[in-house]
Amino acid sequence: MLKKFITLIVVSVSLGFLSRGVGLSVHQATAVTIFSVSILGTLIFWNFRLSFAFLGTSVLLLSRTIDIEHLIRFSSLEIILFLVGMMVIIGLLKEEGLFAWLVSMILRIPHLTAKKFFFAISILSALLACAIDEVTSIIFMVAAIIEICDYFEIDPRPFIICSVMTTNIGSAGTVLGNPIGILIATKAGLSFEDFIIKAFPLMLLCLCAAVFVLLIWYQKAIRELDQQIKRFGANEILMRLISVPPERHLKISLVIFIFTLVFISLHHRLELALSLEKNTILLVAPLFSAGIIMLWKWRKAREFIEKDVEWWTLLFFMLLFAQAGTLKYTGASDILAQRLVAFAGNNLDVLKGIVVWLSAIGSSILDNVVLVASFIPVMQSFQSMHVNLQSLWWALLFGGCFGGNITFVGSTANIVALGILEKEKNIRMTFFQWFWIGLTVGIITTAIVWIVLLVVPWY
Amino acid sequence: MRVGEVMTREVKSVPFDATGTEALRLLQEMKISGLPVVDKENTLLGMFTEKDILSYILPSYIEKVGRFIYKDDPKSTKKKFAELGTVKINQLMRKEVITTTEDTALCEVARIMLTQRARRLPVIDAKGKLIGIIAREDVLRAFAQETQQA
Repeated sequence: MLKKFITLIVVSVSLGFLSRGVGLSVHQATAVTIFSVSILGTLIFWNFRLSFAFLGTSVLLLSRTIDIEHLIRFSSLEIILFLVGMMVIIGLLKEEGLFAWLVSMILRIPHLTAKKFFFAISILSALLACAIDEVTSIIFMVAAIIEICDYFEIDPRPFIICSVMTTNIGSAGTVLGNPIGILIATKAGLSFEDFIIKAFPLMLLCLCAAVFVLLIWYQKAIRELDQQIKRFGANEILMRLISVPPERHLKISLVIFIFTLVFISLHHRLELALSLEKNTILLVAPLFSAGIIMLWKWRKAREFIEKDVEWWTLLFFMLLFAQAGTLKYTGASDILAQRLVAFAGNNLDVLKGIVVWLSAIGSSILDNVVLVASFIPVMQSFQSMHVNLQSLWWALLFGGCFGGNITFVGSTANIVALGILEKEKNIRMTFFQWFWIGLTVGIITTAIVWIVLLVVPWY
Repeated sequence: MRVGEVMTREVKSVPFDATGTEALRLLQEMKISGLPVVDKENTLLGMFTEKDILSYILPSYIEKVGRFIYKDDPKSTKKKFAELGTVKINQLMRKEVITTTEDTALCEVARIMLTQRARRLPVIDAKGKLIGIIAREDVLRAFAQETQQA
């Protein structure tokens, strides 16, 4: 523990000195050091990440590296409120049994075959990650997979890996799939429609490629499941295993959710019609729905806020965004951006490659929100250098989401799924059991994005 | 009144190397819902309750998935119940246990029971050895006696 802590401090302070050596001012070097402590702190001491964020932010204020006004501005309250609203809505849907109903639907697949099951979990995982968020959707996908694999007495690992990887791919399809989606949308001024027109089709293309690779990779497991299905017969017991009565409350919850999705998807047009600031409706829709939910379920309102909203994570995000903003505020990110552009020879295509591969490799080790938060000030500095940014934002989004597939700690969905697997089946996956297929899927899908961004002028 | 005056000193405990089935049998024989787990030196290691068995045999994701009704018993539950014969008690028991000491005031124990939602508290000495157990029933009986005497 002490060794790790010393390593963290030594590496971060060295980075600070190195920054001074390459010409950064004291404030810029302080911002770089503190931000490095936060990033490395999350990597080495995951459970203490909020402590590091609190301490680092205090040092930034005390050393006058940033003032309170800018700290608050950079903490991106609008993103935090959006996530709070969505978490309340998801909490309601969970309470009313929507997710359990979806699990029961997967268990009831008629005339089940192994391939049908494989395609169903892959496509559903990707689409549900688009509609809710990757962490919520993976929980009930894994629940359904474990029940089915238990019933047919087969190893659930290949199917869980398929579901997790397609979840990570699907999470890039919309603003809702991953916290980095809303982060990029708000910082880049991209709308839900932009995501649907540009990110969603590219996600589908990558999903097809990943499904093809996974189908070949796990053909033995698929054959085994087919044999077991023939041995056990139809999934009759699974069909009646669980039920969720279609009560009025579930229907009302579903209406609220659909209403939110409609407003989110039409936000750009509504903002234009009502002459509202960009992304106002996008951010307001979940907040408005959460307000309605808390009025409707007023007895449980406090519970929704206290239990369903992950304050630990959101507070960390806020302070992380503020610390990343300090890089921009002090001008440290401008220098890094200038160096990157010079390294790329002022060539946008080279820059696209750097961003997509760097973010993919980075997010295979780091939490993708941490990675994207570190990239954002640099991207904003590119803007002041008149670099065409939109393709770079897409490169960051896809790299950040797809890189999560490379290692088993690459995304929260991976960690959650493997945690359930270990608890339920006492199966602890080794690094390399994940890595080879993760690397293959990660490289292929990232390469597709890279090629599309280079070749298709649309992006 | 102090804990030492009302606690049960003859404590039945589960040995640390017992299996889930053996521990469950002990609970059923004694018609109680929980017992402390101790090592060879009688040092308290944890608490084992019927609830621990339920949380072992049912899927861990049931709370996360949300509201639903089981219409049948899943295969996994029966399988996990059968596994209890080989699962050691330290995989099932709760390791973070709220304890008390002999000289603690009864009201303090009552406060802990109420705020921590504990049914019973193991009583340990300075070395962490189990010397007794105090249940809600013992606390209430002691309060009743005290009131009658007054």
